[in-house]
Amino acid sequence: MAGIISTYEPDNSLKKGYFSIFPEICKEIKKNKWLIYQLFKREFSATYKQSFMGVLWAFIIPLVSICVFIVLNQSGILSIGDIRAPYPLYAVLGMAFWQLFSRGLVASSNSLVNAGSMIVKINFSKKSLVIASTGQSIIPFLVQFVLVVILFVYYRITPSIAIVLIPLMIIPMMLLTLGLGFILSLLNGIVRDIGNILSILMTFLMFLTPVLYAKPKTGILATATIYNPVHYLVSAPRELVLMGTISEWEGFLLSTILSIAIFVVCLVIFHLTETRVAERI
Amino acid sequence: MDDDVAITVDHVSKKYCKSLKRSMLYGIKDLGRNTLGLSSFSQNLRKDEFWAVNDVSFEVKKGGTLGIIGPNGSGKSTILKMLNGIFWPDKGKISIKGKVGSLIEVGAGFHPLLTGRENIYINAAILGMTKKQVNEKFGSILEFAGIGDFIDTPVKFYSSGMFVRLGFAVAVHSDSDILLVDEVLAVGDRDFQIKCYQKMHEIKKQGTTIILVSHNEYTICEQTEKCLYINNGKMKFFGPSEEAINLYIKEMLENKMRDFTGEEIGKLQPQKKAEIVSLKFFDQNWDEISFIESGQELNIILECIMREALHNPIFGINFYDNSGFMYCANSDYENVTFEEPLVGKVRVKVSIPHLYLPTNNYLCSAIIAEEDVDNLIDWHNMAYKLVVGRAKKARGAIKLPTKWEIDNQ
Repeated sequence: MAGIISTYEPDNSLKKGYFSIFPEICKEIKKNKWLIYQLFKREFSATYKQSFMGVLWAFIIPLVSICVFIVLNQSGILSIGDIRAPYPLYAVLGMAFWQLFSRGLVASSNSLVNAGSMIVKINFSKKSLVIASTGQSIIPFLVQFVLVVILFVYYRITPSIAIVLIPLMIIPMMLLTLGLGFILSLLNGIVRDIGNILSILMTFLMFLTPVLYAKPKTGILATATIYNPVHYLVSAPRELVLMGTISEWEGFLLSTILSIAIFVVCLVIFHLTETRVAERI
Repeated sequence: MDDDVAITVDHVSKKYCKSLKRSMLYGIKDLGRNTLGLSSFSQNLRKDEFWAVNDVSFEVKKGGTLGIIGPNGSGKSTILKMLNGIFWPDKGKISIKGKVGSLIEVGAGFHPLLTGRENIYINAAILGMTKKQVNEKFGSILEFAGIGDFIDTPVKFYSSGMFVRLGFAVAVHSDSDILLVDEVLAVGDRDFQIKCYQKMHEIKKQGTTIILVSHNEYTICEQTEKCLYINNGKMKFFGPSEEAINLYIKEMLENKMRDFTGEEIGKLQPQKKAEIVSLKFFDQNWDEISFIESGQELNIILECIMREALHNPIFGINFYDNSGFMYCANSDYENVTFEEPLVGKVRVKVSIPHLYLPTNNYLCSAIIAEEDVDNLIDWHNMAYKLVVGRAKKARGAIKLPTKWEIDNQ
């Protein structure tokens, strides 16, 4: 350790160029694996410890939205559409994948702000903090998957064997969340409006994405869905679990490429600018 | 960078923004520029910005100790934060060799809902320790914190002392090559403070470079070899701690003196029998002074005019501090008789071989009375200012001359 020289000067990372920073980033993540785990544990406990229900809240919130949709559907106010599966199963699965994105994004965009007092006192890896916060959405995801298993048993349906591919299928979603989280956490650190805008936008986006209803066939919403990468990232793994096939695999592939691109670009931007956020937070 | 140098700070400046709205705007702008690969021109001041640290340069050798002193808001903490890499300089360059540990507000990463044990692991990870290191040192950390069974209680139920002790315990175990310390030693009870100093001493002996920020000149003097004195973000002095502290105390006291408005010296009134004209301070070489080190020889010359012959005049010079507390009164009425009455211009010389007044600024009163000290003729109340600085090698407020006799029986 004693031999390492750290240099701090303005526009430091600019002098190194864009490409030499990738090994740097990899080294940082590798070195801080344990830190990421500890930060993850810290935030997890912070969320669930002083609460009797704890992580069970992850069941309740999607159940409430689903119940509202069932009631609205049965009274004929809106139509869920053709889903070829029991609606609760379709909706819980959709919510699980959607919330992986929405919860992860809200948590990661608030990560730097919430740890503000720590950031201005201790110099530690800020990437680890964003990663740990994004990862928070994994816990409710797992809890919701327990609910999915219960529903499969209840409806006496056997899920497709492709369900084992789920950990792979959520990677693009996680990368997209993490990438956007990097940028939004920085911006939210400087301008708090970002956090508020995001929570409004998330609610809006959920209704714009076919999470709780089938993909519409006509109208503005149908057009919007075609260009909505989140739709493919939610529907593809859901179809895989329910039917064992993906109908819109081109869309999923393009969304995956887009997610990776967003992730890489945002990670680079974060790396270049993270040293500026502590003084403004 | 030379092999034996741990820290090089080269013409470093840091600016802050006074306006929150502008700070947000500048923040976004700088992010944007850096993203596009453009320089942020951080060397220029924009509207509402000011230099919190301005052109500071110093160097610390490996295993050396550096103190940073200066009044509140002078930029001490900003320098520490830049050395830690939390804030980055806007001008200049900092090079640091080795792992930096910090005792800046210990326990900063503690989560109130987690137990002491969980927080030890998390805090240690944030401070850059590995899992193996924490497991090895866990017992030692626990013992140092001395909080006993409370280790499995959520930190939110800790007393503030326990909280700080646990934070300190983790921080001092984070094996660093350079340790930044900011005033944390002032917290905790006496026993814990002593423990902290012992630990600091131990760390120093291991060859760790220590940077210490403190307002306690005694601590700085004891713990550091070299010292950086800054004021308003500008470097005033960098050199041996003793000199830096003496300069700091002198300047601070003189500044305070300037702010203090004592009572105006009374106008000469013709109806008085006698008037004080002036009072001046001199050192041992009879050079006029307004600053003296505690314990040095002080000479005072009081000049007055006697309009009428006075048979039993009494001269007095009293020392007060800013709050008006009288430290000492010196009068000549004891055992002094005048064979001939005094008239016309009179010059009174007073010698104090050793001025054993504690470090402070003083206001002197000059008094002329007749027959009795309360029978005042003229009185300049708290009108003359004198700053008493720290005595060389003093380890307290004053240094008394001592004689030691040790019998080995």
